[in-house]
Amino acid sequence: MTAVSIKDLGWKYSGRKHFAIEHVDLEIPENSFVSVVGPNEHGKTTLVSCIKGLIPNSFHGVWRGQVEIFGQDVRKMSTERLAADIGFVFADPEAQFTSMTVEEELVFGLENIGLPLNEIQERLNWVCDLTMIGNLLDKSPYEISGGQKQRVAIASVLAMRPRIIILDEPTSMLDPLGKDNIFQILTNIKKDTDLLVIVVEHNIEQIAPLSDLMVLMYDGNIAKAASPAEFFENSDFLLQHGIIPPQATTFVDRLKQQKLYDGTLPVGLEDAIDITSRVLRNHSTPKN
Amino acid sequence: MDQALPVASTATTRRMRKTLLGTVPVSSPLYQLHPVTRFITLVFLGVVSLFIDVPEINILLIVMVFIYLHWAKVDMSNLKIYLPLTITVAIFMFTVSIGFPSRLPGYHTFQFLGITFYFESLYWTFASYWRLMAMLIGTIQYFSTNRERETLVAIRTLKAPFVITYFFSLALRSAGMFLEDMRTIREAERARGLDETSLALRDRAKLYVMYMIPLFTLAIRRTDEISNALYARGYTPSGKLENGVHRSDYILTKYPIRRIDIIVISAMIITFITVIILRVQFGIFAVAQSPLRIFLLSLWS
Repeated sequence: MTAVSIKDLGWKYSGRKHFAIEHVDLEIPENSFVSVVGPNEHGKTTLVSCIKGLIPNSFHGVWRGQVEIFGQDVRKMSTERLAADIGFVFADPEAQFTSMTVEEELVFGLENIGLPLNEIQERLNWVCDLTMIGNLLDKSPYEISGGQKQRVAIASVLAMRPRIIILDEPTSMLDPLGKDNIFQILTNIKKDTDLLVIVVEHNIEQIAPLSDLMVLMYDGNIAKAASPAEFFENSDFLLQHGIIPPQATTFVDRLKQQKLYDGTLPVGLEDAIDITSRVLRNHSTPKN
Repeated sequence: MDQALPVASTATTRRMRKTLLGTVPVSSPLYQLHPVTRFITLVFLGVVSLFIDVPEINILLIVMVFIYLHWAKVDMSNLKIYLPLTITVAIFMFTVSIGFPSRLPGYHTFQFLGITFYFESLYWTFASYWRLMAMLIGTIQYFSTNRERETLVAIRTLKAPFVITYFFSLALRSAGMFLEDMRTIREAERARGLDETSLALRDRAKLYVMYMIPLFTLAIRRTDEISNALYARGYTPSGKLENGVHRSDYILTKYPIRRIDIIVISAMIITFITVIILRVQFGIFAVAQSPLRIFLLSLWS
């Protein structure tokens, strides 16, 4: 079933001359993992804000086209319905904290969508296990590390068990260990839930292996939308559009250019090692 | 659940809970009281002093607050930081009272260092000072023993409108962020060689005015961000769902009201009503009934 349907979408922020995004068409199936990539200021955040309904509800500007969430026009959905169906994790976790303790932060959204107290407690326990933050409940969200803050931000959205979760550059403010933690949580989400996950991310190396669909935003348009293997087929095109393919993909692409390999490109290191082993086996000279 | 911070003490390591103005041991008996009881204590100490002019009673109230803090295992040494404030208030009040006294007929006067002192005016200042101190110490005790969360629980328990409790919560949050932003800006200036101590007072004042530009810009940006975050999480100012039902309040379930709370709140309400009746109907607690004042006036005759 199609979860998100975008038809000829355009948005121009109030006071700007040009449309931030224009003529965007995209169909996203449910229960999939989508990464939105591209250089800064090319419309990634605007696109996901339109899916969440933050645009046009919280911004002034000119809207064109249509965004449907499970067949319903996003502009006609209530705040409560949007909150229940679509979770949104911002790049700066501190920007989204609204409470004085982690526990309150996690239950805030659950209270807003009207869950009974026993279910709030049950979801709180579940999300603490999933995101490994059970020991932070009584702390202030401002007094924990950057990685913990982002885990709390993700947990507060996951706890609402939305049908779609959008993460806007969730690792942009984290150290390498913090980034790894977030990607581990994203892996857990993909494995343990049936959510549609949409991630805006610059870390191609780590996001590509998780993705079912990769969307390249460039100059306010979708320059390419394909499965990871297909997405990285034309590395020159990607480099021209500000995307550096994963090293594993680039390596196997070189093998392909030298006619040593003729299959689909991998996005993860494991697959690249596997392909390389096969290439070496096929081309090794038998000993006497 | 408690925010536990291990703090080394001379005898043992105690788990401490961070409050708005200090730290209190997690094991403090204070936490047997519901946050609303503690909040009503703040209101009680702040309002009851307004009806009591007799300084001895206000001093007694202050002593009771210190006994309460001792019982709550609050580290009293932290309270030393408020000593300059109490002295400054005293200097200001008595300077005004001596420099610009009430000079009603019949007031008792005495001379000292060539200055004429009006006893009644001076004593009224003395009584007002202790009234103010009772209110101030009451406020300090509250913020030294409670956290933001407990204040919110208290005002939500008192059925304050949801939008007001949330406004209060965000105000507490923004105050902290404002100070943090200011600290960052100042550190950035120092890193680029600014030495505030070498500036004249006027230049320092100008510097502080200049801080306002980035601080307000950041505040506006943060307002925008928090507004989006609230929208994304389904916040509505009324606190009501689409079907008109009120949102649930999970945090309140963590703080049950016990019998001890009912007893303490009832005692404060009864005391407060009694004080009002005695003051308004019978004129008790007026400054004229102060034993110290009566004694000092007896020295004149």
